[in-house]
Amino acid sequence: MRLMIGLFALAIGARANTFYVTVAGLGGEPDYEQRFALLATETEKTLKAHAPEASVETFKGANATRENIRAALGRIAQMAKPQDALVVLLIGHGTFENGYKFNLPGPDLSAAELAALLDKIPAGRQLVVNTSSASGGGNEALRHANRILISATKTGSEKNATVFARYWVEALGDPSADTDKNGSISAMEAFRFAERKTKSFYEEQKRLSTEHAVIEDSVKGGSAGQLAMSFTVLKLNAESASANPAKRALQAKRDQVEAQIDQLKYQKSLLAPETYRSQLSKLLLELARVQEELDK
Amino acid sequence: MRSIWLMLCIAVTAHAQTLQRAEQLWRAHDYKGANQAFKQAVAASPKDPELRVRWGRLFLERYNKKDAADLFSEALQIKPTYASALLGLALVANETYEGKSLSLAQKALEADPKLVEAREFMGRLKLEDSDPKGAVVEADAALQLLPGAKDALALRAAVELLADRSPQTWVAKIVAEDPHYGRGYETIAHFLVLNRRYDEGIDYYKNAVAADPNLDSAYSNLGINLMRMGREAEARQALETAFNHGWKDDATVNSLRLMDSYKNFETFKTSTTILRLQKKEAAVLHPYFEAEMKRAMAAYDKKYEMHLGRPVQLEVYPDHEDFAVRTMGMPGLGALGVTFGDVVAMDSPSGRRPGDFHWASTLWHEMSHVYVLTATKFRVPRWFTEGVAVHEETAAAPDWGDRMTPDVIQAIKTKKLLPVAEIDRGFIHPAYPAQVVVSYFQAGKICDYIAEKYGEHKLLDMIHAFAQTTNTTESVIQKQLGVAPAEFDKQFLAWLDTHTKYTVEHYAEWREQFKVLREAAIAKRHDDVIRIGLRIRDLYPDFVETGNVYVSLADAYIAKGDNAAALTQLEKYSREGGRDPETVKRLAKLLEAANRPKDAAAALERLNYIVPQDPDLHKRLGALLLGLNNTPGAIREFAAVVATKPLDQAGAHYDLARAYHAAKQDARAREEVETSLEAAPSFKPAQKLLLQLSSGASD
Repeated sequence: MRLMIGLFALAIGARANTFYVTVAGLGGEPDYEQRFALLATETEKTLKAHAPEASVETFKGANATRENIRAALGRIAQMAKPQDALVVLLIGHGTFENGYKFNLPGPDLSAAELAALLDKIPAGRQLVVNTSSASGGGNEALRHANRILISATKTGSEKNATVFARYWVEALGDPSADTDKNGSISAMEAFRFAERKTKSFYEEQKRLSTEHAVIEDSVKGGSAGQLAMSFTVLKLNAESASANPAKRALQAKRDQVEAQIDQLKYQKSLLAPETYRSQLSKLLLELARVQEELDK
Repeated sequence: MRSIWLMLCIAVTAHAQTLQRAEQLWRAHDYKGANQAFKQAVAASPKDPELRVRWGRLFLERYNKKDAADLFSEALQIKPTYASALLGLALVANETYEGKSLSLAQKALEADPKLVEAREFMGRLKLEDSDPKGAVVEADAALQLLPGAKDALALRAAVELLADRSPQTWVAKIVAEDPHYGRGYETIAHFLVLNRRYDEGIDYYKNAVAADPNLDSAYSNLGINLMRMGREAEARQALETAFNHGWKDDATVNSLRLMDSYKNFETFKTSTTILRLQKKEAAVLHPYFEAEMKRAMAAYDKKYEMHLGRPVQLEVYPDHEDFAVRTMGMPGLGALGVTFGDVVAMDSPSGRRPGDFHWASTLWHEMSHVYVLTATKFRVPRWFTEGVAVHEETAAAPDWGDRMTPDVIQAIKTKKLLPVAEIDRGFIHPAYPAQVVVSYFQAGKICDYIAEKYGEHKLLDMIHAFAQTTNTTESVIQKQLGVAPAEFDKQFLAWLDTHTKYTVEHYAEWREQFKVLREAAIAKRHDDVIRIGLRIRDLYPDFVETGNVYVSLADAYIAKGDNAAALTQLEKYSREGGRDPETVKRLAKLLEAANRPKDAAAALERLNYIVPQDPDLHKRLGALLLGLNNTPGAIREFAAVVATKPLDQAGAHYDLARAYHAAKQDARAREEVETSLEAAPSFKPAQKLLLQLSSGASD
């Protein structure tokens, strides 16, 4: 899979931009209002700290209107290029009656409207994280090639307020969410982190779980989850390609050893445990030495 | 007129025939048919209370308490003083452990002093309340009315057995009356089990089914008690016999289900311990539970001056309902843990909300029972073994054990504590909802008082005294403490008063001000919170539940930038037994920030007794211990993180590798660091450690 990620990274190139749009919707009650706004603020803070060059737009409170969201997505449609990425995060309540709607001050935003707005954005890779109640009800309308959909609920009938948003936001700030330790949090890593924490929340509280998060992506000819694994939501430690030819050679060598490790892991079940372990041990040491050289 | 008379005769005969048929069908175990026949009989004679009572008794036997109670109540609407109906309600109340069974039985006897069954039932209640003298009076009264009253004879036999005398005379009388009367043996078994004499109880349940092979309730009870004692193959056989005969009450069905679930458990054995854990959490809990069992056993070996000489089996249930099956029919014991001889069953910490349950406190409590029951050969009143067990909880660590609850304060204030000679009643037949909790508290405090006034060893002397079955609570108090029970009660209450008076007297004021404090906390009026909080905190220092004063004060101080004052409050919270994991983690953070890593580690160590399933706890504690160069502790904690199967496999194995490396166990460190890198090959810190380990260091 690492090889695949490498290919995507190459395809996107160093100049690809990421556009982030975060919306904290209508709380209905002061407690929810405050909670949603806090999560949006925290998200904005994390994004600005780790992706200072990215375009980050946050809408909360009275500002989170349908018109403002339309305008923001319209602007992005003008600016984005096919190699760019878009991350839309919706925090709040949703309803599902004759289609999904995300609750906002004033008119709500329907899944169909949002889909239409997103379709106009040329960014080749899009991620929509809808953490609201009933959010699963919007997935059908939002489904699109090369668009990853994450919803806090499986269907529109899961109508209770959700906790998924809390853990999604936590994932962006917690290095342990970066499970492959490549210095960035992928959509799949953040999803798994938030999904597990949400499950634990209900287990610990001894409450029947009223939300079941789902992730779906579609990439032509690819397997499920492939796009989400390669979609970087946030880079924690960015590494740029070196101009130094010696370093470039080392980077190439590193990629090669990493690919060999991936290959070996795929073959794990076919090898005797001691053979696998010995080959892995050798490759890991080689990779560590290459990295050591690179870091000098 | 003649024809009317004839019609009446026909009606009465038909009614009698329907009732007779219902009873016949019932005896033939055709319960559906019997139910139908009763229905017809009641429809034909709606004003006959006896029909409803008999129908109710059928329901009661077939474990439908609600319909039974409804029918008894209907009978009482027809005739308000109908003794059999009052008795029926008393029987229902007893099955649901309601305190009113005694008063209902008394009413039944007032309505009909010659009702033998009511007399027998009164005797049963008295013996359940550990009042053998009272039980004998009632049984003899029943026998006076009906010399062949078999349940009265069984009661007399049970009284003899509980006093370690031969029951043979009374058993022979039952057999002479009816050689197939299995219920007599079942009654005897019931009392043996109630007094925790499980092995003997099992023998009598076997006698019951031998005498009456259709006595399904006895098969069920036999199976349940065999299961409690860990004799699973025999237990299954007995339970399945009951089930296949159509005895499908909750206890039987749940017990069979529980036994089916044993395949999902893993067993760990040492020479002194057998630990059964659910597979999903076995890896995480095993080291903590096994170590604590051994620690408790070492302490008790010394304290009780004895060795068990056989392993203790501990079963830990993450699903509270599974655990509840183990407690069926044991009021007051069901909440957290239960001991059956050498077998202890308890809730898993994962079975309860984080912070609700101190598993180590429960484990020490139950392990104390194992020792006390063994030392007394199961001849110990319930109040005393529970009291010693509660005493042991706080003796192990002052912040363990239960705090004084508002229910307890209320009971002290309204003088509801029972005399020591009657305290068992509070466990078996509570007269008000909180009486079981109050009785635990009181029994524990009595033992605290004895240990404080007469020395800890006096409790051991009392244990040895109770082992002599001729001794009762009264005689043990008199002989061992040199005071009459009534005088003991007086002295104990005076002692308790010195410990609780301040809180009891100020509780109303505390409650009033607590509400004001909560309002101020919600409104973030920090100065008000500090002013009120400091004034009321020590009025009721035991209150460490949600919204407690300590946390409110800490929040207010932090909001005002005074972390040192917040730290002081949270330290008090922890010392007073506060268990909320997030609050204790906050305390640990403040301690770390105050450059007190050792105290921070100690604060988190407490949480291992509360939420050992929490990976975040182990990760933080492991890091602190590693920083303090406590490598065995760090290895234990980081291994626990790995055992929780976290998403961050690379991070978890890397931390463990670091701990092994610090402990100079480099072969293990290399294994772990390679596992880390297998999950995340480009994980730089792990790569550095791998290079370091490869540069020549070894075990």
